[in-house]
Amino acid sequence: MTSTERTSDRITSASGAHHTRHRDLRRIRIMQDWAFISPQLFLFVLLTLVPFVFAVPILFTDMANFNDPSVNSVGFANFTAIFTNPSVAADYFPALKRTLIFVALNYTTVYIFGLSLALLMFEFGVRRGFFTIIYMPLMLSGLAVGYLAVMLFSQQTGSMNLLLLDLGIIKEPIDIFSANGTRWILPLMVGWRYAGFNMAIFLVGLLAIPLDTIEASIIDGATYWQRLTRVYFPQMWPSFIIATTMALIGAFSVFDELVAMGALYVNPEAKLLSVLFFTYGFQIDRLALGMTLAIITSVPLIFVGTLLLRLQRKLQY
Amino acid sequence: MTTELESKNQEEIADRRRSQRRRDRSHSRRRKIYAGLALGVMAIYSVLTLIPFYALAVRSTVPTKESTTLHFWIPKADEVNFDSQVGNLSMFYNLDPADLKEAFGIPSTEYLGARTSLRDISEEYGIPEEEIRSFFSNFYIYNGWRTILSDGRFFGALGRTLLVTIVSLIGLTILSVFTGYGLAGLRRRDQRLVYSTYLLQMVIPAMLIILPQFLLIKWFTDLIPGFASPGLTRVIVQLGSIVAINIKGTAFSVLIFTAFINGIPRELEESAMIDGASRAQYVWRILMPLLKAPIVALIVVQLPLIYNQFLEPFVYLDRESSTLLPYIQTTVGQFSTNFQVIYAAILASIIPLLVIYIAFRKAFVKGALAGAVKG
Repeated sequence: MTSTERTSDRITSASGAHHTRHRDLRRIRIMQDWAFISPQLFLFVLLTLVPFVFAVPILFTDMANFNDPSVNSVGFANFTAIFTNPSVAADYFPALKRTLIFVALNYTTVYIFGLSLALLMFEFGVRRGFFTIIYMPLMLSGLAVGYLAVMLFSQQTGSMNLLLLDLGIIKEPIDIFSANGTRWILPLMVGWRYAGFNMAIFLVGLLAIPLDTIEASIIDGATYWQRLTRVYFPQMWPSFIIATTMALIGAFSVFDELVAMGALYVNPEAKLLSVLFFTYGFQIDRLALGMTLAIITSVPLIFVGTLLLRLQRKLQY
Repeated sequence: MTTELESKNQEEIADRRRSQRRRDRSHSRRRKIYAGLALGVMAIYSVLTLIPFYALAVRSTVPTKESTTLHFWIPKADEVNFDSQVGNLSMFYNLDPADLKEAFGIPSTEYLGARTSLRDISEEYGIPEEEIRSFFSNFYIYNGWRTILSDGRFFGALGRTLLVTIVSLIGLTILSVFTGYGLAGLRRRDQRLVYSTYLLQMVIPAMLIILPQFLLIKWFTDLIPGFASPGLTRVIVQLGSIVAINIKGTAFSVLIFTAFINGIPRELEESAMIDGASRAQYVWRILMPLLKAPIVALIVVQLPLIYNQFLEPFVYLDRESSTLLPYIQTTVGQFSTNFQVIYAAILASIIPLLVIYIAFRKAFVKGALAGAVKG
């Protein structure tokens, strides 16, 4: 659209004779908008949504790997496999249990690290130096975080183990490759990695609270706990929802840390669902089954996530 | 009488004021104590945050056989034991016999058996003990670093990572600005629909998408002639598919530009049009410079994600032409008995980004807060 067309449009659009012309211009503008939108949207749809269209027919087959020459239809067998196939059940349910425990513990660290640090910063001033340090682990890869966990908490050689033993804080060294070790250390390290990120989410929520509501509660003599539960939290709902969505979806996708902790080979305790889907698809020739399990597991998750996002948008506007 | 009463009154008022002031003072003192406590807690947490980084730096210099003892600092090199055998040295310190021969001028045709001790070498080839000692005093401590940095593949992998990161960030920024501009205002139904499509990205777990996505990309890349055989085409297509995944846009990239561009007065665009600019020219010449803040926020949020990408490169790239993290994972698997190499490799993979983070920390903190606003 050139400027002359546009200005003439604005001058004359009031007169009915040029009504069709106005509509044409509007259509041109919409098409131009789409010219700007489409390059990225094409990639997004192609790489995020189209793959599922591709995947659906495969869910009903016994496709073993990405190069499988003979693919046969198996009906709904993949969908019922977790109940009918004992070897799949033996893989799936323990992994599901570990994942759910991790999701819960990881969600706790969001508050222990993120919310309490945000409250400290909010009450006593945002200090850029501390912020910089607390945010620093986010620069690490998940792989590095996993190897750090191994470095700190290996039974024989873990630096943190040796330090805690020296200080007499623990009697027995923690073993990261044991069930309990993996269960507790993994969320601890992931919580440490995302502490700065979660702190930022809550801090922004706190900083958006109108100051007069806080002052009013102080003048009325509210205790700090009352101020938290009656003034801060009710006004921070968007932050809580965002943090919850991120932690929930992120925890189900945790993978790099697990690889570093030996999940693909030596450490069965680190086999969460993400690792299970990966090994089914890329390592042990159960591709169609792996995809089906991934979809079965994700559907409720996507549903909950969408509900949370919708709730958040409602609360914001 | 009245004066007495007045003075009594005044005394009372003064008294009350004094106690009020005292209460204020004790209140502010209590507040100061709390502030001190809070500062202390934050300081302790910061120190705890830094411990793993420090421990990693120290551990990258601690020889594997000393790793069961606690080290607070780079250890002193062991006195060279002339009874140690070449086989053990290459197992625990990753010593390459070829390096040894080269350092002492032993002809490369000579064979050094696994049970050859350093004393044997010294006697057989007439090498002074001093020379062997000086070679090994650094070797014990820095062999991890030496192994990584002398491995050409490390810099190759780092180079590919930087290439992918830079291309992805530039592509993502340009495409996201276009999307943000095309959607700005969200006035029409089609715009809102596109916007919600991008929001889906937030709720689709990465683990769900990887298998179907691989299926699609494999189907597509297999169509490309020359992809099946190793060569430049293959490498470019593989790296290109990683870039495509990185620039496809996220909920965050769309949210931040849509919101920011919506805040720019429409009169600006209209006056540019009157001056004869096309919409593309307006975006390129006028809008882009105004978007410095959201562009910086997008880059500081996406940079660590793209630089630290592991799963996609691990799956899509050949080992010989991979980016940094798959290379690190392979190296760790290869030197699984040598902790020095493992921790040096991990530290080496972290350092480039840490340097950037510390150099631009203000932008990162600002970007983190801007990112949190938009979720």
